[in-house]
Amino acid sequence: MDLFKNNTVINWHDHVWPDENNKLDEKRLYLMMKSFHDTYMDLIVCSNPVLRGNPTPEEFIHCNNLQYEAITKYPKEMKGMVFVNPGYMKESLNEIDRCVNELGFIGVKLYNQYHISSPVVRDIIEKCIRMDIPILEHAAKLNHGAALQPYTSNGLHFAKVAEQYPEGVFIHAHIGGGGDWQWTLKAIEDFSNIFIDISGSVCDEDIIEQSVSHLGAKRILFGTDMSFSASIGKMLGADIKETEKIEILNNKAFEKYIMRG
Amino acid sequence: MIIDVNTYLGHWPFRKINHNESHSLSAYLKKSQIDQACVSSLNAIFYKDTQQGNLELAEEIKGEGDFFIPFAVINPTYAGWEKDFIYCISTLKMKGLMLYPYYHGYKLTDDCAVSLINLAAKMNVPVHLPCAIENIRQKHPMDTEENLSLSQVSEVLSLCSDADFIISNGSTHAMAKSLKNIIDQRNGEVFFDFARVEVFTEDLDQLIDYAGIDHVVFGSVAPFQYIDPQLVKLNYLKTDDLDKIKYKNLSRLLRIK
Repeated sequence: MDLFKNNTVINWHDHVWPDENNKLDEKRLYLMMKSFHDTYMDLIVCSNPVLRGNPTPEEFIHCNNLQYEAITKYPKEMKGMVFVNPGYMKESLNEIDRCVNELGFIGVKLYNQYHISSPVVRDIIEKCIRMDIPILEHAAKLNHGAALQPYTSNGLHFAKVAEQYPEGVFIHAHIGGGGDWQWTLKAIEDFSNIFIDISGSVCDEDIIEQSVSHLGAKRILFGTDMSFSASIGKMLGADIKETEKIEILNNKAFEKYIMRG
Repeated sequence: MIIDVNTYLGHWPFRKINHNESHSLSAYLKKSQIDQACVSSLNAIFYKDTQQGNLELAEEIKGEGDFFIPFAVINPTYAGWEKDFIYCISTLKMKGLMLYPYYHGYKLTDDCAVSLINLAAKMNVPVHLPCAIENIRQKHPMDTEENLSLSQVSEVLSLCSDADFIISNGSTHAMAKSLKNIIDQRNGEVFFDFARVEVFTEDLDQLIDYAGIDHVVFGSVAPFQYIDPQLVKLNYLKTDDLDKIKYKNLSRLLRIK
């Protein structure tokens, strides 16, 4: 664990969750933050998305309030991403304003309610560009079980929107999140404003090496997405340069977002 | 010391795999503190006649001393399976049986599978059931649509109550919980690896609670997966009996001195 102990580690992808009473799941938060401290991380960026269905403004505002509650418990260790549903555009834009300007959130989290290249999402992308904040979007090239998440974005959706908005900053979530990661790397490699995080439970040998080979370490962020051992182990086991590992663990291109939050 | 229950040699048709030759794999595993590894043939899964893959494996690992502990891949729907299995155990000195019902098109509860498992039990050979090889969400269009079926495992544990089983590379914490009542009523033992179980939540503790510390083993799924995620788990696992998980349980099952 010397790699983690001796270097700055920014975890760009994890979550807080509601409990069965729709309040902040404190036990789960405690376990995550204990793991965070035990593995020598310096900052964790979290969101609280609704995974199924079409959340209303009341629901996504509540999600962000829970996220903010978690931040108040760990103000030095945690930053937030605003979760919104682009199907409610006016409310989403207002919520981004509230969370970024009043609560100090540092980016937008979109889930699987719409493809990122859908025209429905455009106003959110344009707002993020104006505010200079990144968009972290749930993503995968699912070769099995795709019907369960028909609007999950894949690399081609990202490529389309990255070409359309070259000034946007798009993070393709969890390259190890369970999908054809080789397909994804080829789909996004030509678009320098698409980044990936390495999180997810899939720890296929070569996934980090191929990610660096296609994108370069500068376009890769460290993340866990509830899979600490897989994500940490991928970084420890990858056969890439130490300097590239350090760059991924603390991607300097994203430092400005943290400083502003 | 670590004994790894789940490694592979050979070709995987759907993705380029590194370290899939014996010398390269043994070096890769040794670099990660692994002292011995159960190994089976990937080729055998995809050859019509699995025995050709088993023979290749036996030849391939000859130069590696006792580092590799070979397991035989047998398809019980293929002609001559009984003779092949006995040859693998008696002549090639293989130590275990690998079954892939989701690649070979049978159910664990089919008569042929039950006969093979009961023969393995009679010969004191453990039966290894990997839940999957690769994560199914990234599957090639020609790869299987299924993982190991929990309901089939549940039934076969009762049908073949004398056999020892190893279940690997899946949500084994949930499986150990579901299967506990059945396992408690059997003569044979059931071992689980933790390749896809998280140590930083309560899942790995749950696996140990339900399976028992004497029935949890180390499996890396090398060379498909990085070994380090499993080493991280060993590093953070809170138990006084880590050696049981690292090697003692498998040494006992496979009668390794």
